[in-house]
Amino acid sequence: MSNKKIPTINFKEKAMELLPEGASFEACLSCGLCSSGCPASGIENMDPRKFIRMAMLGMDEELSTTPWVWCCTQCKRCQHVCPMNIDISQLVFLARGNWPQEAKPSGIVRSCQLIRSTDSTSAMGLTPEDFVFVIQDVLEEVRQTQPAFKNLQAPMDKKGAFFFVNQNSREPMSEPDEMVPLWKIFDLVGADWTYSSKGWAAENFCMFSGDEEAWYEVIKKRVEAVSELGCQVWLNTECGHSYYTMWNALTRFGMEADFKLESLITYYAKWIREGKLPVNSNWNTKSIKFTVQDPCMIVRKAYGESIAEDMRFIVRSLVGTENFIDMQPNRSANYCCGGGGGFLQAGMTDHRRTYGKRKFDQIAATGAAYVLTPCHNCHSQMEDIGHHYGGNYGVVHFWTLICLSLGILGENERTYLGPDLLELIT
Amino acid sequence: MKEEARNFETDLAVIGSGIAGFAASIFALNRKINCAQVGNTGAVAYTTGYLDLLGSNEETQAAIDNPWEGLEQLKKSQPDHPLSRISAADIRKSFEQFTAFLGECGIAYTGPSETNITALTPAGTLKKTLCIPATMAAGPKAFADKTPCVIIDFKGLKGFSARQVVANLKDKWPDLSTARITFPEMAKGEVYPEVMARALEVPATRAGLAELLIQTAGEAKVIGLPAILGMHRPDLVKTELERLTGLQIFEIPTMPPSVPGIRLREMFEQVFPQKGLTLIPQQKVTSLCFDADSAVLNLRDNYGPITIHAKAVILATGRFLSGGLTAHISGITETLLDLPVSQPASRTDWYREGYTDRRGHAIHKAGIEIDASFRPLAQNGKAYHERLFAAGIILAHQDWIRGRSGAGIAIATAYKAVEAADQFLHA
Repeated sequence: MSNKKIPTINFKEKAMELLPEGASFEACLSCGLCSSGCPASGIENMDPRKFIRMAMLGMDEELSTTPWVWCCTQCKRCQHVCPMNIDISQLVFLARGNWPQEAKPSGIVRSCQLIRSTDSTSAMGLTPEDFVFVIQDVLEEVRQTQPAFKNLQAPMDKKGAFFFVNQNSREPMSEPDEMVPLWKIFDLVGADWTYSSKGWAAENFCMFSGDEEAWYEVIKKRVEAVSELGCQVWLNTECGHSYYTMWNALTRFGMEADFKLESLITYYAKWIREGKLPVNSNWNTKSIKFTVQDPCMIVRKAYGESIAEDMRFIVRSLVGTENFIDMQPNRSANYCCGGGGGFLQAGMTDHRRTYGKRKFDQIAATGAAYVLTPCHNCHSQMEDIGHHYGGNYGVVHFWTLICLSLGILGENERTYLGPDLLELIT
Repeated sequence: MKEEARNFETDLAVIGSGIAGFAASIFALNRKINCAQVGNTGAVAYTTGYLDLLGSNEETQAAIDNPWEGLEQLKKSQPDHPLSRISAADIRKSFEQFTAFLGECGIAYTGPSETNITALTPAGTLKKTLCIPATMAAGPKAFADKTPCVIIDFKGLKGFSARQVVANLKDKWPDLSTARITFPEMAKGEVYPEVMARALEVPATRAGLAELLIQTAGEAKVIGLPAILGMHRPDLVKTELERLTGLQIFEIPTMPPSVPGIRLREMFEQVFPQKGLTLIPQQKVTSLCFDADSAVLNLRDNYGPITIHAKAVILATGRFLSGGLTAHISGITETLLDLPVSQPASRTDWYREGYTDRRGHAIHKAGIEIDASFRPLAQNGKAYHERLFAAGIILAHQDWIRGRSGAGIAIATAYKAVEAADQFLHA
C-alpha cells in the first residue's frame, strides 16, 4: 500500500444518509455482541463496536485510514447478531471506496482491472477466446479418455438455453479438470445449459475494492450477456460472492433483468429430490466424517436459511446422515472463514490467518475429515488455515462428491480427495 | 429482477424471539401445534442464564427465598401483576417444561424447586433465582458450604473481574481467593467470553486450559470461572475439564455479551427447525393485520418479502429495547397494532427525580392489558381480536427488573398464552 494521503470521510454524516428512515447508529447500546462475534476483532487494534463508537465520536481521520477495513470481510455477522440491527459493513464499504486506488491493496485493485480488461469479466484476465479454447480442449479430452462420456456436452453461446452457467476463473485458468464433474452432472440430469464467451466469469473484485461504478459496469456486462443469449436462469456456480455481487447489484443499482438468479446448490437439492441425481452414501463404508461451510455471501447475506437447509440435505444424501457433523455456529450465524471480501488477495497474510483461527477451531471441534463448501474463497482459505494451524482435514467441492457418489469421478478430477477417499473408490 | 414473495401458513405464529417467544414455541411444540416464530435478535443474548421466577419484592426490594410464598403475597399486593393471574401449579409446569426442553437439547438446567437458589452475579453480589444452568450449579453449593475455592479470570477479559467477585464475597466466604491466567493462544489484546467458549469446544484447547487450571488451583478442589465452558456442548466441556483437572468447576455469569444467552439463542435457532417449527430469526414483523380467517404477518429478510398466515398469533415483542413498545414525546404506543398501553398520565410522570430512586419508576410498569385468556384488550376494554394473544414483558403492571421476575413472566405467560391459543384452535 502506498503512502498517498487518504481523504477523510465524515462517517456520521454518511451513516445518516445510508440508513433507512427511522434507523440510527446512535441506537447502538455498545453491548459488544458485534465485536464478540467478529473474527476480525482485535486486528489492527479495531473491532466493529469501536468502529461505530469512533464514527459517532467523529474520529473520521482514524477511520478513514485504518487498514482494518481491508480485514473486515463485510460478512455482516455483526449486523446479524446486533439487537438494533446496525449494519457496520456499509461503512466499511464506504471507507474502502474512499482509499485512493494506489493505496488500496494491489491484489484487489489488479483483479478488478483484469475483470474490466476483457469481455470475459474474468479476474484472472482470461480472454473470451482462451476460455472457449480451454472448454473445447478439456471437453475433447474427456470424450476421448472417458468412454462413458464420449458424448459429453459443454455448450458455448447457445441461444435460448434454460441455464446461463457462470464459471469461476480458477478452473479454466489453473485446474481445468475441475470443470468436468459439473458438466457430467448437467449431462446426467439432462439440463439445457450453456456457457457464454462473454460475461461468463463469476468473481467480482471491483465490489471488494469499494468501487461502485466498476461494480456496476461488471454486472451490466454480465446482465447483457445473459439477455443476449435469452436464458431464463443465470445459474451461479459453486462460488459465494459471485451470487451476491450480481443479486445485490440488481437492487442496488436498479437494474433490469428478465431472467432469474439461482444457485447451483438449490438445483443440486432439487435434482436429488426429484431422483435425477441418484446419489447415495453407500460408498462411505469407512464412515468418513464431513462438515459443511456456509458461505456468508449466499447464506447470511442472501438466501438465508433455505439454502443452508438445501446444503445440509445434499451433504446428508451424499455422505450419510450419521456422517455429517454441523459446525458450530452455523447457517446464518456461521463465521466468515476470512477468505471473503478480497482478504485472500489483499496481501495481509498474517491478519488473514489470525482471522481464520476461529474457523479453524470450528472445523477442529467437529472432528470432520472433510469440509464441503460451494465457495472458492472459503475453499482456499480453509485449506490455507488448515495447513497453517496443523489441521488434518481436506476441503472438497460439492461437484466432486456428487460424482464420487455416482461413481463417475474421473481420475483427473480427484485433486481434493485424501488417501481415505481415494482408497474407497479405487 | 422481480422479487418472489414467500408465503407460509401455520396454525400459530409467535412474534418475538426473546425468552417469551422461545418459550411460546417450546410450549407449542409440546402441544404439537403447527407453529412459526419470527423476531429480531432480541435481548436473549444478554441473559445471565439464570431463570428468575420471583427474586425480590417489587415494592420493598426485599430478597425472596421462597418464590411460591412470594407469589401468594404478590396476588394480594399486586392482583393485576401478570404472575398473579396464573396458578402456582401452572407456573411450576411452565418452568418444568421449559427447563426439560433445554436439557433435552443439550443445555442442562436445574428444575424448579421449593426455594430460590442464592446465585452469584458477575459482580460477586448475590441474587435469588429459581433455575440455573448445570454448568453453574456447583457455585451456589460451594458458597453455601463455604468450600475453599479459587475464582479465576483471564488476561484481556473485560466484564469479569475475579478480584471484584472475591472482594464482594470475602466476608461471607473466607476461603475464597483469586487468580488471573492467560487463556491458551489468546495472550494479546481483548479476549471475549464467546471466543473462549468456542475455543473450548476443541479438545486441544481444553487440554491446554486444564493444565493451567491445575497449576492455579493449588490446594483448592473447587474453582470458579467466568461463563466460558463451551457454547454448543457446555455440559460436555464442563465434564471434560473436570475429568482433566480432577477439580470441581463452576461458571459465574459475565456481563453482556455473555455466553449463556448466546448458547440459548444458537440452540433454539438450530433445534426449532429440526422439530418442524418455521423459524425466521433476525427479522422484525413490519405489519400485522387480520383477515376473515387468519392473522396476516408481513416482514422481509435479506432475500425479499415474506407473508405468514396464521390462525392465531402470540405477541411477545417485548418493550422498548426489542421494539414492542415505542416511546414518543406524547406517550407510549404499542408498535404493531397500536393497542392501548397502560402508562403514566403524562411524560413527566415516567421517571422519578433520581434515576436510582429505590422506589422504581412508573414507566417500568407500562404495557398492554390482557383479559383472562391472555388476549390483549382494545380501547373498548374487550379482546382486540379472538386470534390475538400476548405474553412476556410487554404485559403491563410489572417491573420485572425490580422483581427479579423477567424469565418467570416470560415463561409463565407464554405457557398461558399458548394454552389459550390451543383452546381457540381446537374450539
